[in-house]
Amino acid sequence: MAEGIDPLELMPVSRMARPLRALLRGWAGVVLGFLYLPIAFMVLFSFGESRTPGLPFRGPTLHWYQEMLSNGVLMEAVWTSIQLAAVATTLSTLIGTMAAFPLVRSGFRSAGAARIVFTLPIMLPGALIGIALLIFFRRALGVDLSFWTVVMGHIVFTMPFVVLIVSARLQGFDRNLEWAAADLGASPARAMRHVVLPLIAPAIVAGALISVTLSIDEFVITFFTVGPQSTLPTYIYTQIKFGVTPEVNAVATVLLLGTVLLLGLAWAAAGQARRLSRIFGRRRARERIG
Amino acid sequence: MNDWYRDVSRRRFLQVSAVAGAAVALGGVAAACTTGASKKTGTFNWMTWSDHYYDTQLDEIKKAADIGTNISELADNAEGFAKLKEVTGQLDMLSGDALWVPKNFDEGLVEAFDINSLAVSKQLYSIAREFEIWTKPAGYLGYPFGWSPIQIAYNPKFVSPAPDSWEVLLDPKYKGRIVVENQPVEVVAYMAKLAGIKDPYNMTDAELAQAKEALLRLKPNILKFAQQNTDTVAALVSEEAWLATSNLGAEDRVKDAGGSDVVTFIPKEGTIGWMDAEMIVKGGKNHDLIMPFLELAEQKEYIAENFIRYGRPLFNEGAYKILVDKGEQERADRYLYNKPETVLTMTLKGPGVSTDAAIRVFNEVFGA
Amino acid sequence: MVDPIPASHQPRARSNLTRGWPFLPAGVVLLVLFLLPMTVMVAFSLWRTNSDLDVVPDWTLDNYIYFFSEGTYVRTFLKTLIMAAAVTAAGIATALPFAYFLVRYVGQRWQRIVLLAVIVPFWTSYLLRAYAWQAILGEKGALNQFLMGIGLIDEPSRLFVYNDLSVWLVLLYVYFPFAALALYTALEKFDFNQLNAAQDLGARPDQAFRRILLPQIRPGVITACIFVFVPILGEFLTPTLVGGAQGALIANLIINFFRGLQYTTMAAFSFVIAGFVIVVLVIFRRYLRVEDVVARG
Repeated sequence: MAEGIDPLELMPVSRMARPLRALLRGWAGVVLGFLYLPIAFMVLFSFGESRTPGLPFRGPTLHWYQEMLSNGVLMEAVWTSIQLAAVATTLSTLIGTMAAFPLVRSGFRSAGAARIVFTLPIMLPGALIGIALLIFFRRALGVDLSFWTVVMGHIVFTMPFVVLIVSARLQGFDRNLEWAAADLGASPARAMRHVVLPLIAPAIVAGALISVTLSIDEFVITFFTVGPQSTLPTYIYTQIKFGVTPEVNAVATVLLLGTVLLLGLAWAAAGQARRLSRIFGRRRARERIG
Repeated sequence: MNDWYRDVSRRRFLQVSAVAGAAVALGGVAAACTTGASKKTGTFNWMTWSDHYYDTQLDEIKKAADIGTNISELADNAEGFAKLKEVTGQLDMLSGDALWVPKNFDEGLVEAFDINSLAVSKQLYSIAREFEIWTKPAGYLGYPFGWSPIQIAYNPKFVSPAPDSWEVLLDPKYKGRIVVENQPVEVVAYMAKLAGIKDPYNMTDAELAQAKEALLRLKPNILKFAQQNTDTVAALVSEEAWLATSNLGAEDRVKDAGGSDVVTFIPKEGTIGWMDAEMIVKGGKNHDLIMPFLELAEQKEYIAENFIRYGRPLFNEGAYKILVDKGEQERADRYLYNKPETVLTMTLKGPGVSTDAAIRVFNEVFGA
Repeated sequence: MVDPIPASHQPRARSNLTRGWPFLPAGVVLLVLFLLPMTVMVAFSLWRTNSDLDVVPDWTLDNYIYFFSEGTYVRTFLKTLIMAAAVTAAGIATALPFAYFLVRYVGQRWQRIVLLAVIVPFWTSYLLRAYAWQAILGEKGALNQFLMGIGLIDEPSRLFVYNDLSVWLVLLYVYFPFAALALYTALEKFDFNQLNAAQDLGARPDQAFRRILLPQIRPGVITACIFVFVPILGEFLTPTLVGGAQGALIANLIINFFRGLQYTTMAAFSFVIAGFVIVVLVIFRRYLRVEDVVARG
C-alpha cells in the first residue's frame, strides 16, 4: 500500500511533477478500487440464487429483482427513506450553513463553546439520542410520531456535520472580497450570492453529501422517532431472526444505479446551463456595455 | 425443498388456494358486517417482524375488507416495549415474544381479549389457546403466531462425535469455529442452560458466577457474533464456522446457499426458545379494526403460505393440514410444526430480574 | 495576504453577514431537539433501573461509579481511543494525497464526478457492504482465493477478518469519504500559485508544504479528524460484523445495556465518553480556532 507517500514529495518541483502525478493518480485508483470492491460483491450477490447473500456464488438470476418489485412494504420503505433523506438533508444543509456564519465571524466569545456543543450529537450514541427524542416528543411536547418527527431526529445528527465543514471553509475566508463587493455597490444580499456562496459552495455540497450518507442508513434514531412507517434501514436491520435476503441487495443495486443516472443527468444539465448562462451572460454584458 | 422459492407452480397453487380460502372467510365476515352495527374499515398501525406477514396477504385483505395496514418493523422485544410505552395509542397492534407479552400487559400497554370470539382461532392447536403465561382472568393476552427453539447446528465433517449437549460449545477443539447471536442476555442464558441452571433469566449471584465461568471458556471458541441469521448461515456455508446456535431451519438455509449438510439438534439440557403473538394495544386509535383483521390474516391458507416463505413452526393446525396436502410434510415435521407441545419444554425468552447482571457478566468477558 | 481594507469600509458588509440571526434556526434545533431531550438523559444517568426494567428516579452516582470500578470499561475505552486514532491517522494519510490529486490534477468538472464517485457507494446499506467485506476477507473469501491463485500462500489464512486489524480496515473504509470530503473542501480553495511562488523565492518543497499549504488547510484537517475520530467512539456495528470475539469497542458494551433496557447505565456511560471528548476539545480549542494561525502563518 502506498501509505508511504511522503507529503514532502507532493511539491510541484517541475522535475518531479510528472512522476508525482503518476503516483498520485495510481493512488487515486487504489482508493477507488478499495471503495468499490465491496460494492461489486454487493451487486454480485443480488444476482445470486441463494437466499443468503454470500459466497459461493450461484446464478445469475433476476429472481430477487422480481421479489423486490412485488414487495410493497419494502418499496414503500425505500420511498420513505428517499423522502426522508431529501427533506432532512435540505433542512440541515440550510440551517447548518446559516449557522456557520455567525459561528465563524461574529467573534462572539461563546463561538468556540458553541462549536463544541455542535460536536456533541456526533459523539453521543444514536440509541441515547433516539430514546431521548422519543420521550421528549411524547411526554414534553405531546406530539404524535410521524414523518416529521423522524425528519427532526435526522436533522439533529446531520446538521453538525454541515456546520463544522462549512465553518472550516469559512475560516480564513478572505473578507476583503466581500468588502470589495460592498464597496463596488453590491448589497449584502448580492455580495452573498455572487461572492460568498460560490466560494463556500464546495463545503455546502460536501456537507449535504455527508448528510445524505448518514440519513439514508440510520437505524436507531429512526426507529424511535418514526411514526407508522418503515424506512429501508428499519426494514433491513430488523431482519434479525431470519436474516436479509438478496432482495435488499437488489434494492441497493437499483438505488445505486438510479443515483448514478440522476447525478449524471444533473451534471450534464448543469454543464448545459453553465454553457447557456455563459453565452447569455456575455450577451447581457455586451448589451449593458453597449 | 431446498429451492423452495423456485418452485413457482406449487407456490402459485397455494396462493390461489389462499385467495379462495380467504374469499370464503371474507364472505362470512361480510355477512357479519352487514348484520353488525357499523362496517369497520380503515388503516391500522402494526409494529411487527417482517416474517409475520407477506405482501399479497395484506393486499388481499385491503381489497376484500378495506382494512389497510401500516407496518413498522421491529428489531427486538425490548425496543418494541420501550417504544410502545411512549407512543401507546399510535400503535394498534404489536408483536412480541413469550414472557414479553405478559410484561406488556402488566405495564398496562396491551389488553386481554376473548380468543374464542375469533372464529379463526378454531384453526389453532388447542394448546396454543391455553398457554398459562398468556392467560389472565381478563382473557387471553395475544393471538398465537409462531415459535422456534434455539438449536445447535454443526457440520459433521468437522464435529465428531455427534454432540448432544451445550458442552460442545466449550470444547477447545473448536477454537474460533463457533457463531452465536449478538444478543448478550441470550448468550448468557445458553451458558446458564449448559450449567444446568433452572431459570436463566432470573439468576442468583452464584448462578451468574457459574454462567460467567462457562462464558469465559466459550470466548476463545467464538468466531463472531451474528448480527442477523444471515451471518450465521454464511459462516456455516463457507465452513469458517463449524458450530452455531440458530433458530429452526439453519440446515435448509445452509443447503440453499450452497453449503454442505449440517445437522441440528436441541441440547439435552433443554433449550431457550421464543413463541410470539399479536398483542392488541390498549387505546389504539384503530382498535376496532384488529379483530376483523386477525380473523382474516390468520386464516390457514395465509399461514401455510407464510410457512413456505419463512420456514418455522406456526400455531395454526389447519395450515399444517394444508402443508401435508401440498407435500410439505417432511419439512413441516422436521421443523416440529406438528409438535407444538415442545414449546412447554423450552425456557421462554423474556425480561427477567437478572437482565442487568447478565449484561455486566457478558461485558466483563467480552470487553477489552 | 492582502492588506486589509480600512476599518471604515467594513461595517456595511458586516452589518448583515455577521449578525447573529442566521444562527437562530440551528440554535433552536440544538436547544429544543438536542439539549432539552438530553437533560432527561442526564437525569436518567443519575437514576437507576429496577428489576422490572423500569427507570426509577432514585438519585445515585452508581452508574458512573460502575464505569470506573470495573476495569473492562476503562480498558475498552482506551482501546477504542487507540483504534479511533489509528483510523484517523490512516484516514488523513490516505485521503490527503487523494484530495490533493483531485484538486491539483483533475479538471473541475471531473473533480465533482470523482467526488460523487467516492460518496455514492455509501448511499447503500452498510450491513450489505459489511457482508461483502466478510465475503472478501473470510477464510474462503475472495482475498484468500486470489492470494492462493497467484501462489503467494498455500493455505487460506484466517487472519484477514474477525480481529482488530479487520475492524481497523473496515472502519477506514467507512470513514474515508468523510475525511476525503473535508480535506477536498479545504484544498479546493487553496491557491497553488502560492506554492510555486514560495519555491521561486527559494523555499524547499517541504518548507513550502509545511509553511504555506498546511496552515491554510488546517481547518479542513481538523474537521476531517473530528469527522472520523468522534463517530468511531460510537461505532458498534463494525466491531460486531468483522471484529469477532475480541473486537468489542466501548459502544458495543454500551449498546448491550441498551438492548437490555438498562437506559440509566447506557446514559451514564455515554456521558463519561462525551465528557472525555469535551475535555479534550477544550484543551485543544486553541487548535480549533484557525483564524489566528493563518494570521500568524
